[in-house]
Amino acid sequence: MEMVFIAAALIIGLGALGAGIGFGLLGGKLLESTARQPEMANQLQTKAFIMAGLLDAVPMIGVGIAMYLIFVVAG
Amino acid sequence: MTRYRKAITYVPLAKWLTIEMATLIILSMFWFTESRLAGYSAFIGGLIFVIPNAYFAHRTFRYQGARQIHVAVGNMFRAESIKLALTAIFFAAVFTLMEPVHVPALLFTFAVMVVLGTALRWLIRPQPQR
Repeated sequence: MEMVFIAAALIIGLGALGAGIGFGLLGGKLLESTARQPEMANQLQTKAFIMAGLLDAVPMIGVGIAMYLIFVVAG
Repeated sequence: MTRYRKAITYVPLAKWLTIEMATLIILSMFWFTESRLAGYSAFIGGLIFVIPNAYFAHRTFRYQGARQIHVAVGNMFRAESIKLALTAIFFAAVFTLMEPVHVPALLFTFAVMVVLGTALRWLIRPQPQR
């Protein structure tokens, strides 16, 4: 039973770690590129928004599976 | 000297929501043919994605322009954290409060809606309006 909780913690934790690193890089590059070319700010923000959707797809599914493990399999 | 006119990015949130809800209803009808519980669970699974995603899109574009880009980036980080937290809370609420639940329908519809949401952002992009 404890292994299920460890598995859920690993899914959520590693998913959050990946999303955090990805969002950090994305936000940093957005700030850097806007400082270089301020007239492109809106286009860059739109592109960052699209990339954010790609970034958080896998952690979102991971959260769903982890909640299933915690509340249905172990519960 | 080049003059740059200010542009406001129009976020097609209503269009995204309409397409997502239409797809969600079609998927729910498909699962409804298996059982009533599966259709209901599929609808709930789709809503778990649609509501936090709409909040994320709304909050990300609250601030625009080069002068406020640091506020926009901060808002994007906060919106992403709240989106993940909302998803976890909704899943926990469904698995604890909704006693008979068809788990394959719920998770399958959720995964399909995640992929659809990403594809919709790519296909119907926010347009700058002058």
